[in-house]
Amino acid sequence: MNPVTLIARKESGELLGSGRGLGWMLALSVILSVLALLLVSNTELSLLDNAQVVYMVMGTITALGGLLAIVLGSDAIAGERERGTLIPLLLTPITTTHIVLGKMGGLVAAWVLMYALSLPYLWAVGSSGQNLAQAIAYLALFGTPVVLGFGFYAVGLSARFGNVRTALLTALISLILLASPLLLGPSLRQSAIGQAFDAVNPFSAALNTFDSVVIDSQPLGMQLGRLAVTLAWLALTFWFAKRSAQTMEI
Amino acid sequence: MLIEIADVKLSLRGNPILNGVRLSMREGEIYGLLGPNGAGKSTTLAVLTGLRQADSGTIRVLGLDPARQRRELHHQMGVLAEDSGFYGWMNAPDYLRWMGRLYGREIPAEEAARRLAQVGLEGVARKAVGGFSRGMKQRLGLARALLTDPRLLILDEPTNGLDPRGRREIHDVLLALSRDRNVGILLCTHLLDDVDRLCSRIGIIHQGETLLEGNLAELLAEKTGANRYRLRLGKRVSAAGEVLPAGVKAVAREGGWLHLDLAPSLCPNTVWSALFASGWDIIEIHNEGSGLEALYLELTKTEVAA
Repeated sequence: MNPVTLIARKESGELLGSGRGLGWMLALSVILSVLALLLVSNTELSLLDNAQVVYMVMGTITALGGLLAIVLGSDAIAGERERGTLIPLLLTPITTTHIVLGKMGGLVAAWVLMYALSLPYLWAVGSSGQNLAQAIAYLALFGTPVVLGFGFYAVGLSARFGNVRTALLTALISLILLASPLLLGPSLRQSAIGQAFDAVNPFSAALNTFDSVVIDSQPLGMQLGRLAVTLAWLALTFWFAKRSAQTMEI
Repeated sequence: MLIEIADVKLSLRGNPILNGVRLSMREGEIYGLLGPNGAGKSTTLAVLTGLRQADSGTIRVLGLDPARQRRELHHQMGVLAEDSGFYGWMNAPDYLRWMGRLYGREIPAEEAARRLAQVGLEGVARKAVGGFSRGMKQRLGLARALLTDPRLLILDEPTNGLDPRGRREIHDVLLALSRDRNVGILLCTHLLDDVDRLCSRIGIIHQGETLLEGNLAELLAEKTGANRYRLRLGKRVSAAGEVLPAGVKAVAREGGWLHLDLAPSLCPNTVWSALFASGWDIIEIHNEGSGLEALYLELTKTEVAA
């Protein structure tokens, strides 16, 4: 069996079969339940339209996916080092790239489960609207590279710092920075700096696409530039993780 | 030669860590790598296993260059690193089988059980590794190192945390591997007793440099020139009455014990007979070993002073 598959299966089993994984999924269900309840109430009171609500759920799932990715990614190599299990892995005939990809395999499994868990909530808030199918498809298409990119980024930090706490803190700050234009509101986003940052920010690219597709019903053809940004983010972070693992100090 | 390295140098952030390490080891040999904490032993092991790249020097392990042929090398060697960890939620057979797959080997359940029994881990199949004692983990680490049926085994403190019986069992496993399967074993340890019992050759590293390397018996004969014994004396011998035969020197007295150095040419039994004949009340005689500890302390002390 391919070493990447072996490590990914081990990671998935460890994550999803453990209390930690179940805790994550329970927390996700609670957050989405509360959010869906609030949003449906707002829709019923005509305070928000249906598409707006679906967009907000998609954004929340992507943000939570990013958070999950950096938590798991930060532990990927530094956690193995701290538990003394990294050296035995490095003493097998596998490469550091196998380790990085195997670790990401566990994250992919967690993201797939998270995505599957979010579908009933998307249906609950969006079934009466027109763009539910697009929402489900675009969450997979744009959310996946953004989330996995955060995972690769955190794995790279994990290899560079060799310490879970430092890697996690740095990755969290990066996530907050990338999400900051969205938190600061439309006026700052309209400035030249805001627009430039938006243009290269994968998080913004995903959210702007959700907005365009779900709220404004734009076609995929108009989202290709944003898709390129998210895919470039994925490729760049993969290179960063791979390079960091290859050059890490033992 | 299994290992042949010479004049290996390595610096980290401008600090010299290895400053001229040499080591040569043949098949079937058990080689003891000794040195104080921070001497560069673990870094030397990292260079030998390809985990670190030296700045300069000649390095051949199993005829390969560890820095460039790491994957080929890891197929042929077994390594037990110091404080190496395990996935606590797995049980020991599953862990061995999983690690085996990383080496490209499918290990049947019976083989996993046999390999665990080889290191004294019978009857733990259902227990999660997280519940193992330190000694049990050391044994599992040794079983992991043996997964590839290696020609070369590199062990960093393999008997750490083991009780005396456990240590003896691991010694027996290592001696059998060396004797029956011609496995070369590089043993890095602080326990001189392990080295005394197992190793035929030693190397002493201090401050990143190999100070001494060679056949253990020859080095001891050459460097210490004496065999040390410890005698427990009864009450009938007074200090004034301790007249020693030629070639025997009293080096220390601690409580009821007298430490003697015997010249290499002397037969100990002849000395004891002479002492008994002259009225010495000797209750116990201990061979203090080959003097390895004295050699080690003397060598590292001299270097520190220098």
